[in-house]
Amino acid sequence: MSSGKVIHLKNVVKRYGGRTVNDINDKVLGECGIEGLIGPNGAGKTTLINLISNKISLTEGQISFFKDGTEIDISKSSIDKLSRLGLVRSNQIIQDFDSLTIMDSMLLSLAASKQERFYKLFGDKKARKMAEEEIAWYLDFFHFNNPNGHADSAGEKKLLDIIRCMMLKPKYALMDEPTAGLSEDQTQRAIELMKKRTTEEGMRILIVEHDLDLIWNVCEKIHFMSEGKILLQGSPEEIKCNEMVHNKYIGE
Amino acid sequence: MSSYWIQAISFVAIFIALAGSLYLQSSIGGITNFGIVGFFGVAMYLYTIFVVTLAMPPLLALLAVVGIVFVVALVLGRVILDLGPQSILVATLAFATIIRHLATVLEGVTGAAKGIGTVKMPWDFEKTSDEKILFMVVLIVLAAIVLLYAAKIKKTPYGRLMLSIKDNEVLSESLGKATLNHKVIYFAFTSAIIGLFGALTAPIYTYIFPHFILADVTFVVWIALLLGGRMSVWGAVVGIAVTKFLFDYGIESVLSAFQVRMGPAFGAMWPNIKLALFGAMLIAIFMFRPNGIVSRKREGSLQ
Repeated sequence: MSSGKVIHLKNVVKRYGGRTVNDINDKVLGECGIEGLIGPNGAGKTTLINLISNKISLTEGQISFFKDGTEIDISKSSIDKLSRLGLVRSNQIIQDFDSLTIMDSMLLSLAASKQERFYKLFGDKKARKMAEEEIAWYLDFFHFNNPNGHADSAGEKKLLDIIRCMMLKPKYALMDEPTAGLSEDQTQRAIELMKKRTTEEGMRILIVEHDLDLIWNVCEKIHFMSEGKILLQGSPEEIKCNEMVHNKYIGE
Repeated sequence: MSSYWIQAISFVAIFIALAGSLYLQSSIGGITNFGIVGFFGVAMYLYTIFVVTLAMPPLLALLAVVGIVFVVALVLGRVILDLGPQSILVATLAFATIIRHLATVLEGVTGAAKGIGTVKMPWDFEKTSDEKILFMVVLIVLAAIVLLYAAKIKKTPYGRLMLSIKDNEVLSESLGKATLNHKVIYFAFTSAIIGLFGALTAPIYTYIFPHFILADVTFVVWIALLLGGRMSVWGAVVGIAVTKFLFDYGIESVLSAFQVRMGPAFGAMWPNIKLALFGAMLIAIFMFRPNGIVSRKREGSLQ
């Protein structure tokens, strides 16, 4: 088990009108390589992911991100700034770029900001050459029917979403139901990739999943959410055997 | 070559460049600009004021105008590009309306309905026709550069970025792309291209009136893009070739020849015949090739 934290949630509250969707007093995330976030439907898991990634704004509180020993308040950081800081997310609902092929999508992820200028018409060969090796690795690791074509199936789109995140080499990745829609083989590959990144590069990942077998087998630490609160944090064994978790979730 | 055809080809080159710019904004950047004539008009008037009223050298005036249009679009873009597509459409349309209104009411500067001129060609040859032919060649070359840029941009890192913003801005943002900044700069750059061609229209008209910057300039360019097919820049070229060249000049010439044979009664009818033919062709294209004449197999694809 790794040490140190990546995210610190301080009195995080999200309300819609009079309804409190998230109310988290003082919790840390990202102490271990792969962590899981579980809880019944409507527990506020996706809302929490949206709050950390700033897709939606906080009603109250603060979210801190730790990078190289420095605490950064990311409560008001834009999505693109967060991504550049090293905090990325994959999406629960399938997201893709209709105009881009699988290859173009990967090139987009790997493109450096200085390459993306309106007056740079002749830099593509160089950009492709620089990305060639990394893209080839991903295409070898995962199978796409036609990498030069569009991602047609839901599985390919989901996989591409994960790959785009991984290509950014983030410090912390939020994965909202990353294996939903993937085949057994693709799921195993995706998990293998996540484990590789956490062990070899020190990346931290938070997975939101309803597939509990995957959660018990892959995660080093699990956060249990219900009614907008993180009620319990612990190892898979501790969470699995907890009576409250059984009453509120597993026993559903 | 007759003066008529020199002017016709010059206008076709200008409109092809405008359609190319609209393709860049709409099909690559996802920006619904309904104020093309605003940028076109402000540049045309500024160039005229600079060279006629202020007696600036044409090249310097042209550079100044393009720079001003860039800054104007930068400011406007910063205000409106964070809004939804419909709001951008309305805001750009409003911008064009304001420019036309200013051209109409600022009599001391623009001459209002009396117009402002005379804008000469940027060079002075013995024969006026040579001046116009060279200007036409310059316009064709510049329009070709715009088209080549538009054709090439899709396969560059910047093109992929703009396509990603058009398709899914939040997803693009989540990959670390500062989407609003990129959109604003792209809008300013492409509007400056529209401004360049607006300024270069002034020497062709020689005398500038507010009715040159009516909304129909915008509509012609949009219709051309939709007609030709907005998924490819060549669709814009085909669209302009059909709307401006075939209908405004080609069919007009043929019908004029008929008028000579068939008398003035036919002459009174032919503008309506032309419109009817245009309408019939639009219906046929939208029925049989809804993605435009130059359409692709995969709807929504730019590959």
